[in-house]
Amino acid sequence: MLNILLVDDDEEFTEVACHIIEFLGHDIITANSLNDAYQVLEHNDFDHIFLDFMLPDGSGLHLIDHINKSSKSPFITLITGHPLVKGMLSNLCGPKIGYIAKPLQREDLEQALSHKAKATTANKKSNSHLPTKHFDCLIGESKVMQELYTMIERVALTQANVMLMGESGVGKEVVAQAIHNATNQASDTENPIVATNCGALTKDLIVSELFGHEKGAFTGAVAKKEGVFQRAGEGTLFLDEVTEMPIDMQPNLLRVLENKKVTPVGGTKEIDVHCRVISASNRSVAEIAEKKCLREDIYFRLAVFPISIPALRERKEDISLLATSFLSELNDEYQRNYQWSAVQLQRLIDYDWPGNVRELRHTIHRAFIMSDPESTSIELPKDFRSPFSSVSDKKHSLMAGQTIEDVEKELIKVTLEDVNGNKSLAAEMLGISTKTLYNRLHAYGEFKE
Amino acid sequence: MSSNQNNGAEKNINELIHDARAPLNRISMQAEMIKLVLENNMPPEKALDAVNKIINSCQECSEFLEQIANK
Repeated sequence: MLNILLVDDDEEFTEVACHIIEFLGHDIITANSLNDAYQVLEHNDFDHIFLDFMLPDGSGLHLIDHINKSSKSPFITLITGHPLVKGMLSNLCGPKIGYIAKPLQREDLEQALSHKAKATTANKKSNSHLPTKHFDCLIGESKVMQELYTMIERVALTQANVMLMGESGVGKEVVAQAIHNATNQASDTENPIVATNCGALTKDLIVSELFGHEKGAFTGAVAKKEGVFQRAGEGTLFLDEVTEMPIDMQPNLLRVLENKKVTPVGGTKEIDVHCRVISASNRSVAEIAEKKCLREDIYFRLAVFPISIPALRERKEDISLLATSFLSELNDEYQRNYQWSAVQLQRLIDYDWPGNVRELRHTIHRAFIMSDPESTSIELPKDFRSPFSSVSDKKHSLMAGQTIEDVEKELIKVTLEDVNGNKSLAAEMLGISTKTLYNRLHAYGEFKE
Repeated sequence: MSSNQNNGAEKNINELIHDARAPLNRISMQAEMIKLVLENNMPPEKALDAVNKIINSCQECSEFLEQIANK
């Protein structure tokens, strides 16, 4: 509970604000002018002051001066209705002074007061240096991320289905959450997001998981179950690893995407579907087309708006922001105060992170656990390379110890990817006959169609 | 507030827009009050009182808009 002073000359506003602030569990006193406020301040101590910028007997800034001269240091939130003043106040605002602009909402008051609560419980730390979380979850200021943010903002205004593509660990689920958050914000709603992993479902379960089932629809269906399409309501359905869905199950999905209706297993009634579908795959479009892991008609339904999420090595300038944010989260969770040194951040930037943001987060977590709890410096491992990353490393460079066969295999794979699977063109580029190329592919097995 | 409206002729557009934010602010807060009443089963008279105040503030806002339109 906080002691609050509200200084504003609009009596109807102060009356209703009192009701709301009292409802939030705080004690509040009001003053209608600067002089009133001076008198109240003589006899009371406050944790937080809401202060109108323009009062009948002067500016709210005079009261700030008055408070600064005293030994008291309450948190102050200036209330302004003037756009020009807003700009000026944002320059003036320090750690203990904030501002909110009219017309106010309850959450403006709550946010201002929670700021105070944070300052009192965690005053040993300054969070002002923490990186911005775009859409409440995405970190990064690089050009590629700015482009991604623009795409998210644009698609949030529509109901189009989105397909997210990118390497493993780039944060596809986080981007799905960002699109969902942006959509809720744009439409001022609180719709749910429901996620399911298509690669983790067996053929038998997939229809029931997606569309639900009626009680007694099959052996073991002891109760009615809502499918994910229904649970997502008017929100977002996130289908992770959609390309791993068995191909013979995909027509069921296509029907829902086309008709916007689902029929639960064992049910007779069709249920309307209103959610946006965000799907994700770590395969490239070329690979999806070549390996035919997703039917073409479904691809076009799901990827109305395809988004390619950049790998971490393509946005190295974001590594220090991500590292700072991850370390701060861990510090908060375990009440530690580790800091990065410039050399450590440079080491993180220099590494290629084949496992992307997931690998970076994992490495930082591991280092956090290994560090001395009595110290403020974190201990990074001597080598970041994980058993998984060494495989990916081969993709980009030759290393001593690799067999000629491995290098040849990799070269063929890279060339084929480059020409979208066109074997004649690939053979020409490799300087071998098409027949030789086919022989090699058959020998490697994994390139068989 | 009524004196502000009477002084409308002497004020510039920016001042009038600033003044119009006061009734808008009251509308917003009274609406929040109604939400509280409905979400917490508080006496409906409180919501009714807030609704009446919103209607008055809308009227006030409209008068400011008219003064702006006459500029």
